[in-house]
Amino acid sequence: MVLFNLVFRLLGDKKGQFGMNIVFMLLILASTALMMLSGYVGVVGNVISINPFSEFLFAMFTAGLLVVSIIAFHYSENYMDFAVMSNFALLGMFAVSAATSVITIFLGLELATIPMVFAILLSKRSIEAAAKLFIMASIAIAVLSFAIVLFYGDTNGFALSEYSGGEVMAFAGLLFIAALGFEASIFPFNVLIPDVYTGSPAYLTGMLGGLNKKVGLVALMQILILIFITNKQLFIFVAILSVLTMTYGNVVALVQRNTKRMLAYSSISQAGYILIGIAAATPQGVAASLFQIFSHMFIFIGMMGIVALLEKRNRTEIDELIGLNGENRYAAFAMSLFMLSLIGLPFTTGFIGKLLLFLSAVNAGLVWLAVIGIINSVISIFYYLKAIMAMYTEKDGGRPLKMNRTLAFAVFVCVVITIVLGVYPQPLISLATNAAGYMLPAT
Amino acid sequence: MIAVIVLLPLLLGMLAVALIRSMSKIRYAAIIAGAASLALLPLVNYGTTTLPWLLIAGSDIGVTISLTPLSLMLLSIVLLIGLFVLIYSAGYMESVLDHRRFYLEMLAFEAAMATFAVSGNFITLFIAWEFLSLTSYLLIGFLHNRNSAIRAARKALTIVFIGDLTLIGSIVLFWHVFGTLEFAQIISMAGAVHSIDLYIAVLLLLIAIFTKSAQFPFHEWLIDAMEGPTPVSAYLHSSTMVKAGVFAAILLYPLFAAPDVSWIIFTASAVTLVLSTLAAAREMHVKKVIAYSTIQELSIMMLAISSGAVLAAIYFFFVQSFYKALLFFGSGVAMEATGRENLDEVNGFGARKLAYLSTLFGVLSLAGFVPFSGFFSNTGISSSLTGNLPAYALLSGVAVLTSFYIVRWFSYLSRNDKRSASYAPNYLTMPRSMVYPMAVLAALTLAASAVFFSISTFLSAGSYLSYLPVQSPLSISATDGALFTVLIAVGAVLSYMVYYRRSIKSGIGSLNRIIYTGPIMNWSYHVVAVITSGLSAGISEFDSRLNDFFDSMGITTVRAGYGIRRVSVGSINTYAAIFILGILALFISFYYLVIV
Repeated sequence: MVLFNLVFRLLGDKKGQFGMNIVFMLLILASTALMMLSGYVGVVGNVISINPFSEFLFAMFTAGLLVVSIIAFHYSENYMDFAVMSNFALLGMFAVSAATSVITIFLGLELATIPMVFAILLSKRSIEAAAKLFIMASIAIAVLSFAIVLFYGDTNGFALSEYSGGEVMAFAGLLFIAALGFEASIFPFNVLIPDVYTGSPAYLTGMLGGLNKKVGLVALMQILILIFITNKQLFIFVAILSVLTMTYGNVVALVQRNTKRMLAYSSISQAGYILIGIAAATPQGVAASLFQIFSHMFIFIGMMGIVALLEKRNRTEIDELIGLNGENRYAAFAMSLFMLSLIGLPFTTGFIGKLLLFLSAVNAGLVWLAVIGIINSVISIFYYLKAIMAMYTEKDGGRPLKMNRTLAFAVFVCVVITIVLGVYPQPLISLATNAAGYMLPAT
Repeated sequence: MIAVIVLLPLLLGMLAVALIRSMSKIRYAAIIAGAASLALLPLVNYGTTTLPWLLIAGSDIGVTISLTPLSLMLLSIVLLIGLFVLIYSAGYMESVLDHRRFYLEMLAFEAAMATFAVSGNFITLFIAWEFLSLTSYLLIGFLHNRNSAIRAARKALTIVFIGDLTLIGSIVLFWHVFGTLEFAQIISMAGAVHSIDLYIAVLLLLIAIFTKSAQFPFHEWLIDAMEGPTPVSAYLHSSTMVKAGVFAAILLYPLFAAPDVSWIIFTASAVTLVLSTLAAAREMHVKKVIAYSTIQELSIMMLAISSGAVLAAIYFFFVQSFYKALLFFGSGVAMEATGRENLDEVNGFGARKLAYLSTLFGVLSLAGFVPFSGFFSNTGISSSLTGNLPAYALLSGVAVLTSFYIVRWFSYLSRNDKRSASYAPNYLTMPRSMVYPMAVLAALTLAASAVFFSISTFLSAGSYLSYLPVQSPLSISATDGALFTVLIAVGAVLSYMVYYRRSIKSGIGSLNRIIYTGPIMNWSYHVVAVITSGLSAGISEFDSRLNDFFDSMGITTVRAGYGIRRVSVGSINTYAAIFILGILALFISFYYLVIV
C-alpha cells in the first residue's frame, strides 16, 4: 500500500489516490476482521506477532486513519503528501502493535513520528511546530536508545518478555517511561504537545492526537506490562504520573482561550485516564485502557473535524464558538456530544470507558487513583461546559456555516461510534478483553 | 410493562414532534402521551428485573428495574403531576414560541424521572440521574433569549454535575466495598460492613443528594432555576428533580442510619431549614418565596430522615407534591395576569374565584392547618421526633414562620387597590386549562390526608421495606396536634394582620428590624450568603469571573494554570529542559522512594 501510494504521488492524481487509499484501508479492515473471526495467531520472524491484541489495534488504527483521511481529503492543500506520510505512519503503528521485540517498537515509533514531522512541514502552516516536534522527538529517541541499551546490557536480548532485573533494569524502565511518555503525551514529557497541536492544521492534529499519541500509549503499555509486570514499584510511578498528567491537562485546560489548545490539554488529561488502566496492571485494566483509547480516538478525530470547519473561517478562540448552533446545528450537536462524552455522559463511549477504568483501578486496589480520577472529571466539567454553552448561546448576524459532505460523513461516523458503542458496548468490550487477555493472561 | 410506562412519554413525544407540525396540536399529543402512561399504571406488578448491559470479566453490570410500593408511589406522583403540568402548559405556553422543543424536553424530563423512580441498582439510578440533570438544564434555560435564564441554567447544571460525578465516585466505591450495585443486596449488607471506603462512598453519595435536593451549601441553583417557565418550576419542585435526592436518601436509608453519617445530614438540613425559612420570609419575588419553601420542605424531610423518622418523611414526600404544584400553578396565573413578578405589584388575585380558592387550599395545606394534608405531614414528622428535642424545637419554631411567610405571600396576592382592578379582565381570561388542574390539585390536598392512615400498610406490601425502622402506623399525639395548630395559627394571624389588614403598621417596622435587618441576623445572613454565592456563583460563572474570583480566594491551582500556560508557548529550550528535568525527577524520586 505504501508503495502504491508513492507511485500515485509521482503520477499525481488526488482523487485516484484518495480512492485507492480508502479501498486499501477497507481491505486491511476486512482482512483484520477475518483474522479476528478465525482467531488467527502467527509469528513473523522473531520480531512480529499477529495475535488478537495486535489485530484489535490494526483495526482500530486503520479505522482511525480512514476517518482522518476523509477529513484531510477536503481540508488539506496537499492531500497527496499527507496520504504518503500517513501511510508510512500507519505502517509504523502496525509495527508497534505487533511487536515482540523492543527494536520493533523503537522502529515502529520512529516510523510513526518522523513522517508526521514532514506532514506538518509540508502543510506549510507552521514550520516552527514541525521543528519543535522534530527536536523533541530526537531527544526522546536518544533516551529511548539509551533505555534499550541498558535493557540489552541486562538481558542480552531484545525480546518483550517478563524480566525483573535489579536497579539497572528499574532505571531502564524509568527511561522507557520518559521516552515513551513523550510519545504518549504524559506529563512532564508533554509540554510541547499544545504547541504542535495548535500549529498543525486540524486534520493533522486529529492524526497526532487521535493516532500517534495512542501508539505511544500502546507502546508504553506493551513495554510496562510485558517486561516489567513483576516490578510493582514501577507501576506506582505510572499511577503517580497518571495523576500528574490528568491534573495538569485539566487544570491548564481551564484557562485556555484557544479551542484547539483547550482540546490539546483535554487530550493530555485523557492520556492520564488511560494510564489508570496501565497502572492497574490487570487484564481488566488493560482492556479498559484499550476501550478508552478506542473511544477517545474517534471522539478526538470527530472534534478535529469540526475544528477544521471552524478554522476555514479563522475561528480559533473558544469565544468564537458562540452562535455555532445557529450557523450549523449538526456541528454544534456533534461537538457537544463529543464533549459530553468526554465528561462521561451515560450512553456514550466516554462513560463506559471511564467506568471501566475506575472499576479496574478499584479492583486492583487503587481506590485513591479512582477517586482522584473522579475529582479530575469534576474539574473538566467546567471547560467543556464553557464551550458547550458558547455554542448554544445565540449570536446576532451569524451566517450559515455550510459543512462539506465528506466532512459531515467523517463526523457522522465518529458520532455513530460514540453513541452506538455507548449504548451497546458489549462487542468492543469483548474485543478489548480478548486482546488484553492475550497480552496479559489472567492469573 | 414498567419499561413501557417509563419510556412511553418520551417515545410518544418524539413521535409527535416528528409528525406534528402544528403548534396547537402538539400540546394535545403531549397530554395524550402523559395520560397514556398514567393509564397503564394499574397494570404493573411488584418485582425486579435485570437487563444485562456490560459483561466485564467476572463482573456483570446490568440495568435493574424494580417496582416496590415506595417506587410505585413516586412513579404515580411523577405521572399524575406530570399530566397536570402538561395540561397547565397547554394554556400557559400559548404566548411562548417553540412548543415542539418544550414538550419534547418536558416529556424527556418526565421519562427520566420515571426511570429514576423504578431504578433498582446504581447503574439505572445514575443514568436517570444524569438525564435529569441534562433535561432540567434544557428546561431551566428554555427561554434562551433571556440572559438570566441561561445563567441560571448554567449554574444549575454545574452544581448538579458536581453531584453526578460524586455519584460516580460513590458508585465505584460501593462496588469496591460490596461487590454489587443492586440496591436490595447493598441494603441487606449495609449494617454489617464498616470501613473507611464505605464512609467515603456514603459521603460522596450525600454530596450528590445535597446537590440534587438543593441542601446547604448547594441550594442556590434552585432559586435561580425560577427563570424557567412556571410549569417547569411546578414540576421541578413538586415531584421531580429535587425530590430525587430525598428519594435516594429514603431508598438507601440503611446507609445513612449510622450516627457518624446522620449528624452530617442533620447539621446540613438544620442550616438549610433556618436559612430557607428566613429567606422565604424576606423574599419579594412571587415564585422565589415558593422556591425557598421547597428548599425548606426538602430540609424538613432530610431532617426527619437523619433522625430516623423515615415513614413520616415518606408521607411528607407524598403530600408535598400536590400543594407545591398547586402553589406554583397559582403564582403562574397571578404573574401571567398581572405581567409582574414582584409581590407588591402582583395582586387582585380574588378576581378569578376558582383559582383563588384553590390556591388558598394550597396555602392552608402548606401552613399545616387541620384537616389539610399539610397538617398531617408536618405534625406527623414532629410527632415522630418527640424524643429528639433539638429537632422538635426547631420544627416548632419553623412552623410559626412557615405559616407566617405563606400567609404573607397570599396576603400580597389578595390585596386590592386601584391598579388591581385593571387586572381583573386578565384574570378572567386566563385559559381554563390552567385553572381546572388547580381545582383538582386542591381537592387532592384534602384527599391526601386520608393516606396518612393507610401509608404504612401500603408500603409494607413488599417485604422490601423491612429495613425501615418505623413499622408502626403513623400517629399524631393530641398534644402535638394542639401545639402545632396553635403555633400555626399564631403565625398566620400575625401575618394576616401585618400584611393584609395592615393593622399593625408600626409593627412592620420593628418586626422587619428584628427579622431582617437586626445586626446579628444581618451579619449571619451575609456570612452565609458569601459562602453559598461564593461557591455556586463562583463555580457557575467560572469563565467570566475566573480571574478575579480566584485572585480573591487565593486559590493557587488556577494561578498555577496561568503560569503553566505561559511556559507552554515558550521556546524549545524550555521544553527540552523540562523533559530532562522530568527524567531527573523520576530518577531522584525513584532513588529515594525505592532504593533508600
